[in-house]
Amino acid sequence: MLTKFETKSNRVKGLSFHTKRPWILASLHSGVIQLWDYRMGTLIDRFDEHDGPVRGVHFHMSQPLFVSGGDDYKIKVWNYKLHRCVFTLLGHLDYIRTVQFHHENPWIVSASDDQTIRIWNWQSRTCISVLTGHNHYVMCASFHPKEDLVVSASLDQTIRVWDISSLNKKTASPADDILRLSQMNTDLFGGVDAVVKYVLEGHDRGVNWAAFHPTLPLIVSGADDRQLKLWRMNETKAWEVDTFRGHTNNVSCVMFHSKLDIIVSNSEDKSIRVWDVTKRTGLQTFRREHDRFWILAVHPEMNVFAAGHDSGMVVFKLERERPAFAVSGNSLFYVKDRFLRYYDFSTQKETQVIPIRRPGSTSLNQSPRTLSYSPTENAVLVCSDLDGGSYELYVIPKDSTGRGDSLQEAKKGLGSSAIFVARNRFAVLDKSNNQVLIKNLKNEVVKKSGLPIPTDAVFYAGTGNLLCRSEDRVVMFDLQQRLVLGDLHTPLVKYAVWSNDMESVALLSKHTIIIADKKLVHQCTLHETIRVKSGAWDDNGVFIYTTLNHIKYCLPNGDCGIIQTLEVPVYMTKVSGNNIFCLDRDGKIKTIVIDGTEYIFKLCLLRKRYDQVMSMIRNSQLCGEAVIAYLQQKGFPEVALHFVKDEKTRFNLAIESGNIQIAVASAKEIDDKDHWYRLGVEALRQGNAGIVEYAYQRTKNFERLSFLYLVTGNLEKLSKMLKIAEVKNDVMGQFHNALYLGDVREHVKILENAGHLPLAYVTASVHGLQDVAERLAAELGDDVPPLPEGKKPSLLMPPTPVACGGDWPLLRVMKGIFEGGLDSIGRGGADEEEEGAEGDWGEDLDMVDVDGLQNGDVAAILEDGEVAEENEDEDEGGWDLEDLELPVEAETPKVSANARSSVFVAPTPGMPVSQIWTQKSSLAADHAAAGNFDTAMRLLSRQLGIRNFAPLKSMFLDLHTGSHSYLRAFSSAPVVSLAIERGWSESGSPNVRCPPALVFNFSQLDEKLKAGYKATTTGKFTEALRLFLSILHTIPLIVVESRREVDEVKELIIIAKEYVLGLQMELKRREMKDNPVRQQELAAYFTHCNLQLPHLRLALLNAMTVCYKAKNLATAANFARRLLETNPTNENQAKTARQVLQAAERNMTDAAQLNYDFRNPFVTCGATYVPIYRGQKDVSCPYCTTRFLPSQEGQLCTVCDLAVVGADASGLLCSPSQIR
Amino acid sequence: MAGNPDHLFSLRNNFYLGSYQVAINNSDIPHLSADDAVERDCLVYRSYIALGSYQLVISEIDSSAATPLQAVKLLALYLSNPQDKESTVSSLKELLADPAIGNNAILRLIAGTVFMHEEDYNEALKHTNAGGTMELHALNVQIFIKIHRSDYAERQLRVMQQIDEDHTLTQLANAWLNLAVGGSKIQEAYLIFQDFSEKYPMTGLILNGKAVCCMHTGNFDEAETLLLESLNKDAKDPETLANLVVCSLHLGKSSSRYLSQLKLAHPEHILVKRASSAEDSFERAVQSVA
Repeated sequence: MLTKFETKSNRVKGLSFHTKRPWILASLHSGVIQLWDYRMGTLIDRFDEHDGPVRGVHFHMSQPLFVSGGDDYKIKVWNYKLHRCVFTLLGHLDYIRTVQFHHENPWIVSASDDQTIRIWNWQSRTCISVLTGHNHYVMCASFHPKEDLVVSASLDQTIRVWDISSLNKKTASPADDILRLSQMNTDLFGGVDAVVKYVLEGHDRGVNWAAFHPTLPLIVSGADDRQLKLWRMNETKAWEVDTFRGHTNNVSCVMFHSKLDIIVSNSEDKSIRVWDVTKRTGLQTFRREHDRFWILAVHPEMNVFAAGHDSGMVVFKLERERPAFAVSGNSLFYVKDRFLRYYDFSTQKETQVIPIRRPGSTSLNQSPRTLSYSPTENAVLVCSDLDGGSYELYVIPKDSTGRGDSLQEAKKGLGSSAIFVARNRFAVLDKSNNQVLIKNLKNEVVKKSGLPIPTDAVFYAGTGNLLCRSEDRVVMFDLQQRLVLGDLHTPLVKYAVWSNDMESVALLSKHTIIIADKKLVHQCTLHETIRVKSGAWDDNGVFIYTTLNHIKYCLPNGDCGIIQTLEVPVYMTKVSGNNIFCLDRDGKIKTIVIDGTEYIFKLCLLRKRYDQVMSMIRNSQLCGEAVIAYLQQKGFPEVALHFVKDEKTRFNLAIESGNIQIAVASAKEIDDKDHWYRLGVEALRQGNAGIVEYAYQRTKNFERLSFLYLVTGNLEKLSKMLKIAEVKNDVMGQFHNALYLGDVREHVKILENAGHLPLAYVTASVHGLQDVAERLAAELGDDVPPLPEGKKPSLLMPPTPVACGGDWPLLRVMKGIFEGGLDSIGRGGADEEEEGAEGDWGEDLDMVDVDGLQNGDVAAILEDGEVAEENEDEDEGGWDLEDLELPVEAETPKVSANARSSVFVAPTPGMPVSQIWTQKSSLAADHAAAGNFDTAMRLLSRQLGIRNFAPLKSMFLDLHTGSHSYLRAFSSAPVVSLAIERGWSESGSPNVRCPPALVFNFSQLDEKLKAGYKATTTGKFTEALRLFLSILHTIPLIVVESRREVDEVKELIIIAKEYVLGLQMELKRREMKDNPVRQQELAAYFTHCNLQLPHLRLALLNAMTVCYKAKNLATAANFARRLLETNPTNENQAKTARQVLQAAERNMTDAAQLNYDFRNPFVTCGATYVPIYRGQKDVSCPYCTTRFLPSQEGQLCTVCDLAVVGADASGLLCSPSQIR
Repeated sequence: MAGNPDHLFSLRNNFYLGSYQVAINNSDIPHLSADDAVERDCLVYRSYIALGSYQLVISEIDSSAATPLQAVKLLALYLSNPQDKESTVSSLKELLADPAIGNNAILRLIAGTVFMHEEDYNEALKHTNAGGTMELHALNVQIFIKIHRSDYAERQLRVMQQIDEDHTLTQLANAWLNLAVGGSKIQEAYLIFQDFSEKYPMTGLILNGKAVCCMHTGNFDEAETLLLESLNKDAKDPETLANLVVCSLHLGKSSSRYLSQLKLAHPEHILVKRASSAEDSFERAVQSVA
């Protein structure tokens, strides 16, 4: 039993769940009805109007109503929205036991100790039927959820099923007057509209409760004979099916589960019992110490129950509803029903993977609890509470989409948690010995390791590590080193969620989330008032989690907030951008789209990404009191500044952040004395004299202004102040200013004007203004005051200020914080900050930059130097290492000789892979790769008549070098070289050697061919020749797989040969400037090489031009005609050809005789470049098939530069398919 | 499998996986027993040897040091002075002949290593085949691979797996053997290196291991990426350079830069030796065919 919520109160006699909201009504023996939110655990309301115990209470399905019935014989209907009783139904003559609304009709059924059941219409507020028949207290009565039936239980030891269909008809057609008349009659005579359908007898004592099955024709009852009985009914009769024994005292209430085949009952024996309907056995028993149970309630839709007892009630679940799941990268594995299912987050597709064993309902809560998945091995560990904790290991077959229904024989074991700790290792917790067993995929124990703390669960903590949980802490344990890596005190952790980069972990407890780093160093703790359900990390390192009714976020610094509310609890599996993937309680995948702006904004602030902050401020409607408050509270008033439109707030923020400029702007807008004053204070604090002056001026605060001028030494302004004071007739101000200015004459004048003649006199005479003094003395006459004696008077002049005028230089901290982010965006406020005073600072920064650059340069230079050094001499390394190639046979005798001398007989060395290659293959390339160059050469010589190997040298060496890779195995021991094989496949069996991987392949040649064509087109003939020759030189060492490819290779030889020959002739032609005839001939022969069409056109154009220039017009005309026949795409070519043709038609002659007859088919000799007409004798190159005059026999082929002309050869062998 | 923590675990691991500098830097472990301290010193000095600081080792280990350290010193002497290998080998043999210390595991390990360099695998096996430590077994596996007897190597591996299947050396030896026998096993080797890369910081050794696996499965593009990553870590690592030469060849790219770097920095590397001997044998073959 999973207790969700408990209350303490007087005895609870009635309970009712709300259909939609997480509410429950509890009616108490004290007469009070309580309305609880069992999810939040709060008392919403209490209704106290009944006199004496309230035994029955029931919510209406859709209206904001509930009904209650009590020992005061009253049935009250309440409106919980209005918090009051709407009306009272009177009629029962004794205690009322139960009340219930009808699911459709406006009816209430009530059962009473007056031995009747009554049906009321709560709209007309009348009793519409009285069901009589029981001859003792009726303990309960309830409507059938679908049919027109009522079931009742009574202490007369019977259960009655009543047919109320006629009652239904009565209300259905109220317009029928005649019917109504007859009804009135029947009503008068005691009501025949509800008749007893069955009377179920079987209990030996009074029956306390009877209830219908929600869908099947079943009834369950509980009685004082301590038994439950199951009854079945059909159209005509009802009979007892079975009896459930087990309770040791009166059974007070019994109900069917709304979805599962389960009966729940409770009793005065202080226990709740759960029974299996089909197997008719008890599944579980929950006991309370002191409290007798009185009532049960089952939620109509959800898997929640409630039970009322002597001192309160308890809301509970029978089974966990969290689907077991495991997330790995983009895949989610989860259990639904009896299948393991797979969901791909990227494609959002889900598939059923394999069936898994489903425990029979012999006991509850045995379904899979956790999953652990190993992606590389595609294996899943399913843990459940079966047998006190056990796991099953399934390996998902490769073709996992198969919807095979056959159950895989899983590898099983006992252990309270099992998780993968490495690709092919999993840890199983053995609680009794406080150790973990490390097992491999065959379910064999590989290792055992004791645990550092008493552990009751383990969680994943990265490869090779475990998170061990005890009641009050978790410990990170390294299984290999057997070291504790981290230790953290926590409330009981239920789940551990790792971030994608495995840098942070969130430890979820019932009401707490603790975020820690990978060493379990505490980062922050969150407390929730309601249950934390699940969580996942988003890509930015924000932890998103769900509680019972919210999706919330937690920033790395511990700030959290609500993203949105949830209707029903969900289990989050992954966060991807704004999508939250979760599983609901039915094991369905849900995608919730959230608005993450708020937390991303806060995250950006936290990470000081002000540019992003700014763009978010500008692009989204984030402004709100909450955000501003957050910014202020977090110490970012200058950011908040940008949100605010209200000038007063703006001013306050500007002052707080010390942004005088904005403050001035706002102060101008507001323009009241107080704000100017505060501006002045702040400006003074910053030493911004200009603004201080401005502020004082605006507030007309002349005294302060004067003093400001005094301290800044602005005498000119000060004297102006004097004048202003004079104009304003402000004597005191005048005097002050005069004092500040040290102007004695003015001083005296003011005193005089103010009527202080004696003072004026003294001042004047002390400061030596004799004329004035005398005048004043005259005026004063006898009253001339005595002058102070014994002191030497001097004029008190204010000292000259150290810093005269101007603002104080400010260190621009602001700029540092914003890192240019604001400036670059160019908001007005930010721009204004750019002021002269900080010039030096900026420059300093630049200096640093320059330094950095210089360093970088130096490093770059150094690097260059190094590279140069390394490249300096390459021709070192003439190591003579013949012994490396020692034949195996040579070593054998030595081995055996040594072997005799020691006890240990060393195995004879095996055959190197390269040797196997040469044995298995007759392809020259394989031999070359194996390093057997002589056999490779012999093969080439035999197959292709190749004699000149010099051009092949680099190919041979590359093949050889590329045939092995190098593996540093044991430190300081020699490197292991490993043979690389070609044609690797996943299914290749080990120890079966494949031929060597070759560095040349056909596609490379294709690339070269294309490059060659391109070079030809652009007229880079030397380059083109080099490319085509290299094709010809590579082909002998190429290996292809299929016959078709062999043909392609052979074709390629011909293509390359034609081009090589043609290009050689063309290059030769260019050398022979002085022999026009030969030039023409070579140009002509070039056109007979088998070239690509564009190249042929170019060759023809070339030949045409050459011949035309040499006045061989007939031949030129022939080329022109041929050129036109190719339909040249280039209009210029066609035009030239037509012009040549026209010119030639006038004069069809040749100036010089050429050895060239275009009418007669010919090939060109590869060495002498003369035509060999059809029928003439020739010899050819065995490799590239170039034809030669017979005189060339025995010479090296001039085209391919490899084979000997006319040599015997068996032909190109370049594929194992040719040999098979 | 008592529960006392293994203080030298991470030191050993770093050494096996090629994080030599890390091993050296983190070698200051408090509360070591005398035996552990000697082992620690051995690992540190061997790390220095692996980094090429032979002289440091030779000068720091004096004649009073323990046998294992003497053996380590011999290894440094052997590797530092290619001209005078004979005297080193003879003093090594002297030590081995001493019945009191001849059976020391480190000594035998060094002997195996030295004789492997001498390409006297028989002599090497004579000292190492008895096993006794994971390192000796691992060396055996390597020797057997070297003489192309993967069947023997497999037997050694099985011994190691029985001792501790999850030991780093067992895993490594398993990977070596998988690579040597090829076929479907190469993928397993890759997974082993992959595991290491997830569990421990990346080292040149792990990257090279992965790259070699990729090359053997024909995935030269990925191999190149891995090798370049390794080159970033250590621009002069001989295996990285050698494998880059091979990889570039297969990708049809120029390998001459890497080759000349390798020739310059490690003229004794097996690839350089193979290349130059191949040139000779080419000339010889041309002669013989002509």
